[in-house]
Amino acid sequence: MTHSLHRSGDKESLRGDYVWFMYQAKGVNDKNIKDKALEFIAVAEAAGSENWGDVKTGPTTEYTPDEIKKNITDKSRIRGIFTSREQVVAFLQGLKKKDLGFSVVISGLLEEVLPACQDAGVTPHTINYSLGVWGRKDRLPNDDILAVTTMCGHHMISPRLVEKLIGEVRRGRYTPEQAALKLANFCHCGIFNHVRAAKLLQHYAASED
Amino acid sequence: MTYVDNKKCIGCGICLPYCPLEAISLRDGKAWVDPDLCADCWVCLRKKVCPKEALQAKELTDFYQVFRHVLCDPVETFADTGVTGRGTEECKTNDVTGRYRRGEVGLAVDMGRPGLGCTLRDVEKVAMALAAAGAELAGPEETPLAQLMTDLTTGKLMEEVLQEPNLTFLSIIIEAKCREERLRDVLKALQKVEQEVDTVFSLGLIIRPLPDGTAPVLKVLDELGIAQPVRGKVNVGLGRPIAEA
Repeated sequence: MTHSLHRSGDKESLRGDYVWFMYQAKGVNDKNIKDKALEFIAVAEAAGSENWGDVKTGPTTEYTPDEIKKNITDKSRIRGIFTSREQVVAFLQGLKKKDLGFSVVISGLLEEVLPACQDAGVTPHTINYSLGVWGRKDRLPNDDILAVTTMCGHHMISPRLVEKLIGEVRRGRYTPEQAALKLANFCHCGIFNHVRAAKLLQHYAASED
Repeated sequence: MTYVDNKKCIGCGICLPYCPLEAISLRDGKAWVDPDLCADCWVCLRKKVCPKEALQAKELTDFYQVFRHVLCDPVETFADTGVTGRGTEECKTNDVTGRYRRGEVGLAVDMGRPGLGCTLRDVEKVAMALAAAGAELAGPEETPLAQLMTDLTTGKLMEEVLQEPNLTFLSIIIEAKCREERLRDVLKALQKVEQEVDTVFSLGLIIRPLPDGTAPVLKVLDELGIAQPVRGKVNVGLGRPIAEA
């Protein structure tokens, strides 16, 4: 699964977009994870994660943190977002101190994530480097739409829905924040960055049709 | 697949913008789901986008339908790999699994992504191009697609799945790895096959980097006119027990 790797958009926008992951590995550390997972989530919450979730329940934009925590099982997948490098540093420092044993992955601009690792005192073990999109790019929606839809890597957010919501924001029926939250709820993993999305939608709505 | 209960549908069209593959349209005043486009991701059902509950799921009656649903619906867990989403761990747990070692390059070819979807015929083209260029395709214990392959050394898929007319996937990952010295050939093969498929794919290279996060093997990208990566997914090495190098 590479659902956070290939986010698109301009660099300035991507600078406010980081995805964090907790991974238990099959047959290694995937039994009775709940207590440690709750400690892991506490570190993310303390660092200020704006949205997080468990794909088995949904994101915090739709469910309360308590509902998600209550439902955690060994099949859970816990992940979320940050909007600043400082949050990433605090998160990694907290996890290094806790030493919970889960694999930890941060997805984002390399020029931001790698210095964050250094500041937190952790060393990259393995990196999945994005080489972008290949093939029939002429069939894709425009770059503005992709900057929003690619924040759900499983593509649960349709381009037509984004277009519709840009129109709703333009007409004043939704605020950019309301529209971004509506989109976020379609990303069941909890890695949709609604903070970044609201800024993008506001910008698009203010532009010409 | 998903279908519309015409007794419940009032033809309001509210559901139309929600399908990621634009499989829902209006036909004779009612919503209609195109069976050739629907990938059974069930996002329309999970999010209850129809206020009249006219969208319904048909029972998945054969292996291929179940296989596709499990890969396209991120809520499902793929039984053999134990992983949700599209059922694969690639670099995410490499600090404890040691699946990718120094001197190797992992390849994660995300077919159909972003958002176009893909057929298995296109998946096969890319898998066979990778194998012919010297990449080693991942086996069924690591990646779901391998269950559809007749031969991991060639990337050939089972003929019966290629004959399935309605098997559109939202996305499916081809996973492989090669020695660093083979990377140039593998990338050249991908540059060729990208012109032969009717969809897109997103490409990730999985590498054990130097401590500062750089990877000297990526210099080959400049030779081939491929832009250096600006985004990455960094496993920060906090998993335990740590795998051997």
